[in-house]
Amino acid sequence: MAVSTPVLGIVVLIYLMMIFYLGWLGYKKTKLTEDYMVGGRKMHPYILAISYGATFISTSAIVGFGGAAGALGMGLLWLAVMNIIVGIFLAFVIFGKRTRSIGLKLGAVTFPELLGRRYQSRFIQGFSGILIGLFMPLYAGIVLIGGARFVETTLNIDYDVAVLILTVIVAAYVITGGIIAVMYTDALQGALMFLGMAFLLTLTYIKLGGVVEAHQALTNMAYLVPESLAKGGHLGWTSMPVFGSPIWWNLVSTLVLGVGIGVLAQPQLAVRFMTVKDDKALNRAVLVGGPFILMMTGVAFIVGALSNVYFFDKLGVISVVAAKGNIDLIIPEYINSAMPDLFVVLFMLTLLAAAMSTLSSQFHTMGTAIGHDFYREFLKNGEIGQTVNVTKIAIPVTILISVALAYILPISIVATATAIFFGLCAASFLPMYTGALFWKRMTREGAIASMLVGAFTSLFWLLFVHAKEAVPFGISQALFGKATLLGGTWAFVDPIIVATPLAFITAIVVSLLTKPIPQEHMEKCFGK
Amino acid sequence: MLGIDDPQIWLAYVLCVFSAIGCIIYGALKWNDGEEEEEC
Repeated sequence: MAVSTPVLGIVVLIYLMMIFYLGWLGYKKTKLTEDYMVGGRKMHPYILAISYGATFISTSAIVGFGGAAGALGMGLLWLAVMNIIVGIFLAFVIFGKRTRSIGLKLGAVTFPELLGRRYQSRFIQGFSGILIGLFMPLYAGIVLIGGARFVETTLNIDYDVAVLILTVIVAAYVITGGIIAVMYTDALQGALMFLGMAFLLTLTYIKLGGVVEAHQALTNMAYLVPESLAKGGHLGWTSMPVFGSPIWWNLVSTLVLGVGIGVLAQPQLAVRFMTVKDDKALNRAVLVGGPFILMMTGVAFIVGALSNVYFFDKLGVISVVAAKGNIDLIIPEYINSAMPDLFVVLFMLTLLAAAMSTLSSQFHTMGTAIGHDFYREFLKNGEIGQTVNVTKIAIPVTILISVALAYILPISIVATATAIFFGLCAASFLPMYTGALFWKRMTREGAIASMLVGAFTSLFWLLFVHAKEAVPFGISQALFGKATLLGGTWAFVDPIIVATPLAFITAIVVSLLTKPIPQEHMEKCFGK
Repeated sequence: MLGIDDPQIWLAYVLCVFSAIGCIIYGALKWNDGEEEEEC
């Protein structure tokens, strides 16, 4: 690395001091349970938008998915389109407004509580809580690995120590300052990320001689696609893969649809809609959120793909080769090799901010899911008065699980773990969440059935059919002697494509067959 | 267009820029809409 460790160390120190100050502000402003869980429902629209975006985009979204664009090409830009239209516009304008208003009317302070109260079911709240508490540590573990690897390589600290330092710092402000601290720090981290990515895009286009010139150079490189990728359907970095080929399925079903739609039912994002006072704040947040996400995923995918041009000009090889076959190293290699030293510092900070902002929300959501939704509301039937204290104990417990996973999980699982969590959330929560907001005829039984069908189909497909997870986990092999139960194209189809529609159909059929929720409760949820 | 031959790709490129601009326009037009009107 070109930049001296002391310089980077000082910059990181200043950054951490600012983070602690914001964490302390969060602590000062947290007085009631509602403050700890949903920021007293009066967060500023700018903070909401940036916090949502910064949580949404983790280090793996920039480095992992940017690297994937380096290998697969600009087809990933469809994910950026989905991120903006579905992840921001639809999420804020359609889902966000209803979530906020129903959450307020029912006094819900977490995503599982919103669903549980809307359907008058403690089981829904408890099961959602436990699902989040069990599987979010997997996603958090991955983000932790990414963040710790960064600290390890840039500050020359041992990986195990890096995991601990990062965990302790983030846990400190999440536990004491609740969601206010999480969102305040997110806003600073988001601003850093925006700056880092804006520079990255500009410098890349300048380096490669302009927008059209850079793209043209990449288009001209199509003949360099390696044999193995070409067989999978890769036609070049500025072309979509062959329709129906394995790479096409991976790109379209897992990356574009899986992550693109999965975001709508992410508990740590949905809870944010309940942190603002009115719809005005949500409208204003759209203005900031759209461009923010464009600068994150859009830039990561464009630069990831264009890194091929740079490496070919400089070293005569494509990005995957320059990164020695590890696509997670494409972006770091490119930054270190192509960007000026000062920018390397800024970008390293961008990545640290991206990891911390996602991690903090995950810690908060896991803790509230276990402490509030599962333990207090489901097991103790809401009898324990002090939700915040229970949550404060639950946060370190779930964090410990994430840390353990960060030590255990193999590095190859990084990209898949994000997709697993997104897919599971979409299948389990999206039908019942959509129904909760927009379909008054949806019943408690319909919601429970769709949640169970979604969760179990998704897990079954992951472990027994979808080759990308089923093969490394090896459960299908151990039980049935086959790597995957279904062969051919099925093994490439993402769980979300199968489980989510199935859960939607279950929700509709079961709801129509069961008794509607009483009118008085509907009036309480939606107003008269 | 834009040095990209495949329409499926340049469409994605253009769409993500336009959708972000769309978000800006929406936010600006609705800047003062949706003021608190509900009971707590």
